[in-house]
Amino acid sequence: MTQFKKQFEALLDYWPHEGSGLRSVRNTAFGRFKELGLPTKKWEEWQFTDFSDLKKSDFQLSWVDDLPNLPKEIPGRIPNTHLIFMINGHYQSQLSGLPEGLTVSTGLDHFNANPDEYNVNGNPFIALNTSMMNSGVSVAIENNAVIEKPIQVIYLMTDFSAPLMNHPRFNFDIGTNAEATIIEHYIGKSPTPHFVNSVSKIRVRENGIFSHIRLLETDGHGTYTATTKYQLNRDAQLNVTALASGGKLFRHDIELSFEGAGAEARLDGLSLTEKAQHHDQHVVVDHGNDACESHQLFKYILSDKASGVFNGKVVVREHTKQTNADQSNKNLLLSPKALMNANPQLEIYAEDVKCAHGSTTGQIDSEALFYLRSRGISKQKAIELIIGGFAKEIIDSVQNSDVKSYIDDKVTTWLESTMHHG
Amino acid sequence: MLEIKNLHAGVDGKEILKGISLTINPGELHAIMGRNGSGKSTLANVITGRDQYDVTSGSVTYNGVDLLDMPPEDRALAGIFMSFQYPVVIPGVNNTYFLRTSLNAKLKHQGLNEINAADFMRLIREKLKLVNMDEKYLSRAVNDGFSGGEKKRNEILQMLTLEPALSILDETDSGLDIDALKIVAEGVNNFRNSERSFLAITHYQRLLEYMKPDRIHVLIDGKIVKSGDMTLAHELEEKGYSWLES
Repeated sequence: MTQFKKQFEALLDYWPHEGSGLRSVRNTAFGRFKELGLPTKKWEEWQFTDFSDLKKSDFQLSWVDDLPNLPKEIPGRIPNTHLIFMINGHYQSQLSGLPEGLTVSTGLDHFNANPDEYNVNGNPFIALNTSMMNSGVSVAIENNAVIEKPIQVIYLMTDFSAPLMNHPRFNFDIGTNAEATIIEHYIGKSPTPHFVNSVSKIRVRENGIFSHIRLLETDGHGTYTATTKYQLNRDAQLNVTALASGGKLFRHDIELSFEGAGAEARLDGLSLTEKAQHHDQHVVVDHGNDACESHQLFKYILSDKASGVFNGKVVVREHTKQTNADQSNKNLLLSPKALMNANPQLEIYAEDVKCAHGSTTGQIDSEALFYLRSRGISKQKAIELIIGGFAKEIIDSVQNSDVKSYIDDKVTTWLESTMHHG
Repeated sequence: MLEIKNLHAGVDGKEILKGISLTINPGELHAIMGRNGSGKSTLANVITGRDQYDVTSGSVTYNGVDLLDMPPEDRALAGIFMSFQYPVVIPGVNNTYFLRTSLNAKLKHQGLNEINAADFMRLIREKLKLVNMDEKYLSRAVNDGFSGGEKKRNEILQMLTLEPALSILDETDSGLDIDALKIVAEGVNNFRNSERSFLAITHYQRLLEYMKPDRIHVLIDGKIVKSGDMTLAHELEEKGYSWLES
C-alpha cells in the first residue's frame, strides 16, 4: 500500500494546478482504495485470484518526461483502420488520424463534462484507477454518423527499465443511430513488470450499432486489471469480441446493463494462457428492460500450469418481459496441471424469460485426435487443428475481415509457439 | 499385404481378441461377420492403432513391417485407412481443409509436391460425384451437422481421395438406407483393383451382396470360428450365428 500512496502523492505534486473537482474525486477515490485494500482470497468475487504480487514490485506512474523513443513501426497495427496511439500512457496525437463524425478528447475534458460518472464503488481497482487516472481517451461518435473503418486504439507499454503502472480511462460514446467499430488494444512488450489498471465505459445510444473488439497481447510480465461497463439504450446493438493472450495476471470485470427496451448484446471472449498465467473474468449482464437479448460465449484455452476463472451472472429483473439471455463457457485444458474454475449463474426474478446457461471443461477429445491421426495427420498438427477449431467460433464472430484475420493470426501464432515449447 | 498372427488384444485388462490369424493379399476383399461384442471393431482399431487397446501377444505386419509399434498417422501414411463406424465431429475444422491436410501429409510422405487449394478443389469435386455428395458438405466442419448416411459417404470420400492400399470398412453399412448403401458399395467397387485390399466388417450380408468378398470370416468371442466364401454369408443369414457357437 505504501508504494501506491507514494505514487498518489507524487501525482498530486506533479499536477499541482488540477481543478478542485478532480482533486476531490481523486482524494475520495484514494481514500476508498485505502479502506478497501487489494482483494484477498476471502473476498467472494475475488477468491481465485492472488493479487499479492502487486505489492512486491515498486510500480511507478509514467510521467510525460519519461516518454520513450517512438517505435519505428507501431506494433499490432491492423490494416484499414483509423489509429489512436498511446505509448506508456502518452497519447500521440500526431500519429493518430481520425475521420469526420467523431471527436476525441482527453480524460480531463470528459471529467469536466461528466463529473458524476467518476463515482467509486466496492471495486478497489476502480477506486485505484479513479484516484490516479493518468491516460486514456474519450471517443464520441456523433448521432447518425457511420464510421466505416474500425478505430484502433493502441495502448502500448514498452521500453521502460523500472516497474511501470498506468491507470487509463476510456469512454466510448456511440451516438443515436450511429455505427462504429472500436478496437481497444493493449500491447505489453517489456521484460520489466508493469501494471495496467483500466476502466472503460461504453454507451451505445438509441439504435446505435457498436462493435467493440478488445485485445490484450502480452507476455508473462504484465498485470492487467480492467473494468468494462456497457450501457445500452433502447434498440441499441452491441457486438463484443475479446481476445486476451498472455499476461502474468489478467482480471476483467465486465458489466452490461440494458437501459432501454429492445437492445441486443453479444459478448464473445477467448482467453489464451500458458506457463503460470492466470486469467479471471467476471461478467454481469443485467436485464432491467423489456425485450432485450444477450448472448455470451467465453472460451479459455489453458496450457502448462495456467489457470482460469470464469464467473458469469445474468440477472433478469422483476417485471421485465420477453427477455432472451444465454451464457456459455467452454474451456480446453491442454495440460494436466492447467486449472479452470467456472461458475455460471442465473438470477431470474421475472417470468417471461428465455434463458440458458452452461459450462464445460475438458481436454483434447481423444476420439477427434485419433480420427485425424488415422488420416495421416501428425499428432501435433492434429492437436493444433482441434484447438484451432475450438477457437474458431469466437474468431468467426468478428465481422470486419482485417480484424478477423489479425485475430486469427494471433491465435495461430500463439498455438504454434505453445505447442512447440510444450 | 496384411498378416495377422495369433493376435490377442483387449482393453483395461479384459481380453477381447483371443488369437486371430488372418492374411489378406493384394486385391482381395475379406469380410468379417459377427455379432455385437464379438471383437470386430476391436480388430479394426488394433490394426489402425487406437491407443486404448493393449496387444498382449501375436503380431500384425503390413508388407512385412511390424505395425504394432507404429503411431496411427504412420500406419495411415503406409497406406492403411479405416472408414469409421462412428465418424467423429470436429467442430471448427473445415472439411475441405481437413481432407487437403490429410492428402498433403500423404503426398509429402511420398516425397511428392503438396497439392494447392485450387487443384484440390478440382480433385475433390470429381470424388464428390462418385459418392453422390452435395458440395455444401465441403464447407462445413468435419462431420458437423451431417446425417448418419452423410457421415458414411464422407468416409468413403476420404478413402477415394487418399487412395489407401488397405481399407478397413467398419460397419460402413450401418445406418444406411438401401440407396445410400448402393452408392457406398459402388464407390468401393469402382475403387477395387488388383493392388488394393479391403477388410469389411459387418453384421449383415446386405453389403456383401454388392461387394462380393473373396473370403468371409465369422468372429465369435474374439476368435475366427469359420471361414468360407459367399455361401457362408447366406448360411449365416438363414441360420444365424448360434450353430457356430461351441
